Amino acid sequence: MSTETQQVELIGDEVVGNLVRAALLAALTGAFAYVTFPNPASPTSVTLQVLGVFMSGLLLGPVWGGVSMTLYLAAGAVGVPVFEGAAAGFGPLVGTTAGFLWSYPLAAIAIGAIAYGGIETDADLDAPLWQLIAALVAGTVIIYALGAAGLVVLGNLSVEAAVVGGTLTFLPAEAVKATVAVGIVRADELSAT
Amino acid sequence: MSVRYEPGATLVHRLDPRAKLAAQVGIAVAALAHTTPRGLVALTLLAGVILALARTSPTAALAEFALVLPFLVGGPLIEGVTISPVGFSIEQAIPPALAAYRTVLLLLVAAVYVRTTPIRESRAAIQRTVPGKPGQLLGVGVGFVFRFLPLLRRDIARLRDGSAARLGTERSIRERMRLVAVGGLNRAFQRAERFELAVQARCLAWNPTLPRLRFARRDAPVLALAAGLLAVTVI
Repeated sequence: MSTETQQVELIGDEVVGNLVRAALLAALTGAFAYVTFPNPASPTSVTLQVLGVFMSGLLLGPVWGGVSMTLYLAAGAVGVPVFEGAAAGFGPLVGTTAGFLWSYPLAAIAIGAIAYGGIETDADLDAPLWQLIAALVAGTVIIYALGAAGLVVLGNLSVEAAVVGGTLTFLPAEAVKATVAVGIVRADELSAT
Repeated sequence: MSVRYEPGATLVHRLDPRAKLAAQVGIAVAALAHTTPRGLVALTLLAGVILALARTSPTAALAEFALVLPFLVGGPLIEGVTISPVGFSIEQAIPPALAAYRTVLLLLVAAVYVRTTPIRESRAAIQRTVPGKPGQLLGVGVGFVFRFLPLLRRDIARLRDGSAARLGTERSIRERMRLVAVGGLNRAFQRAERFELAVQARCLAWNPTLPRLRFARRDAPVLALAAGLLAVTVI
C-alpha cells in the first residue's frame, strides 16, 4: 500500500469570504428560478432569476458577481437543479433559450463595473441613482440581446419573432425587478450584508 | 422535478464523468451542425441507445423540463403565423420546429448525465479538467451551491407561505417581488456569514481530497464517440 503526502495549501480568508458569498448568491439565483409571478405583459409567468443576476452584480461587484454567475452555470451544467423549472444539465446550455443563460455572467460583470465605476469593489455601494439605473439597463440589454440572439441562432427563429416573443413581452417585468433591486440597494434593506 | 442523481449499477453509472461530459459536448456540437431531418433521426437513435443503457424513461426525463416545453412549442407557432395573408405557413415553421426537437434530444441526453453522476464526481471532474486555481474555485463553489440550494429554496418557500397566509397575495407584484428578494437575500447573507466562519475554522484548502477519477477501458468507446462526432462536424 502506498502512502501519499502532499502539502495542504489554504485558501486565504478574503477569497473564502468572497467565494462563499458568490456561491450563496448563485444558489439564491437558482432558488429564485422556482419563484414564479404573473407576467404583467403576457399570459406566461416570470421568475426572479434575473433579479439574482442584478443583485450579484450590485452587491458583489464585477469580479465576484461574474464568478457567482459562472458558478451558477457550472452548477447547473453538472446537475444542480438551478435553471428555470428546476432543470439542470448541459442541455439547457445549448438549447433554444441558452443565450439568456450565457448572458448572466457578462451581465453581472457589466452591472458591477458600471455601478462601482471600475473593477474595484468598495464595502458600501454609494453610487448615485442614475449610475445604478444605467448599470441595470446595461445588464438587461445584455441579457435580452444575447437571449434573442440565442433564439435566432439556436432556435432558428426570425429576428422579429425572437424580439417580440422572447424579449418585449418580458421587459415590463424586468423593469419591475430593476426597481426592486434599486430599492434594496438604496434603502439599505439588507440587515446581514 | 423528477430527474436527479439515482445510485445504480448501469454501464452509464460506471463511466468516468469526464467521458460523459465529453460525449455531451460532442453530441451537442454535432446536433447544432446537423439540424436536418437526417441528422436528427441519427441523433434520436443515439439518444435512445443512451437512455436504454442508463435505464432512464424518456417521459420521466422530459417531465423535468416541462416548463421549457411551452418555449419549444411556441417558437415554431410564432414563426409560422403569417400576417398578410393571415394564416399559418408550415414551411416557415419547419426550421424552428427542427431546432426545438434538437433541444428536446439534448435535454434527454443531459438528463441521463444528471441521473447517473453524483455531484461529488462532477466536482472532481471540473477540478481535474479546468487547470489551476480557476478550476479549484469552480469545483469548491459548485459544491457550495449544491449544498445551499435546498436550504435557500426552503427559506423562500417559507417566506411565500407566510406572506400568503397574511393575504400577501393581494399586494402588488412589485411589493411581492420585493418581499421575496429582501427575505431571500437576508437569509442568504446570514447563511454566508456563518458558513464563512465555519469554513475558515476548518481551514479550507485549495487541494482537498477528491474522489479518485481514472479512465477505464469502458470509457474508450465513449471518448471515441465524442471525438468522432466532433470530427464529423469539423469535416
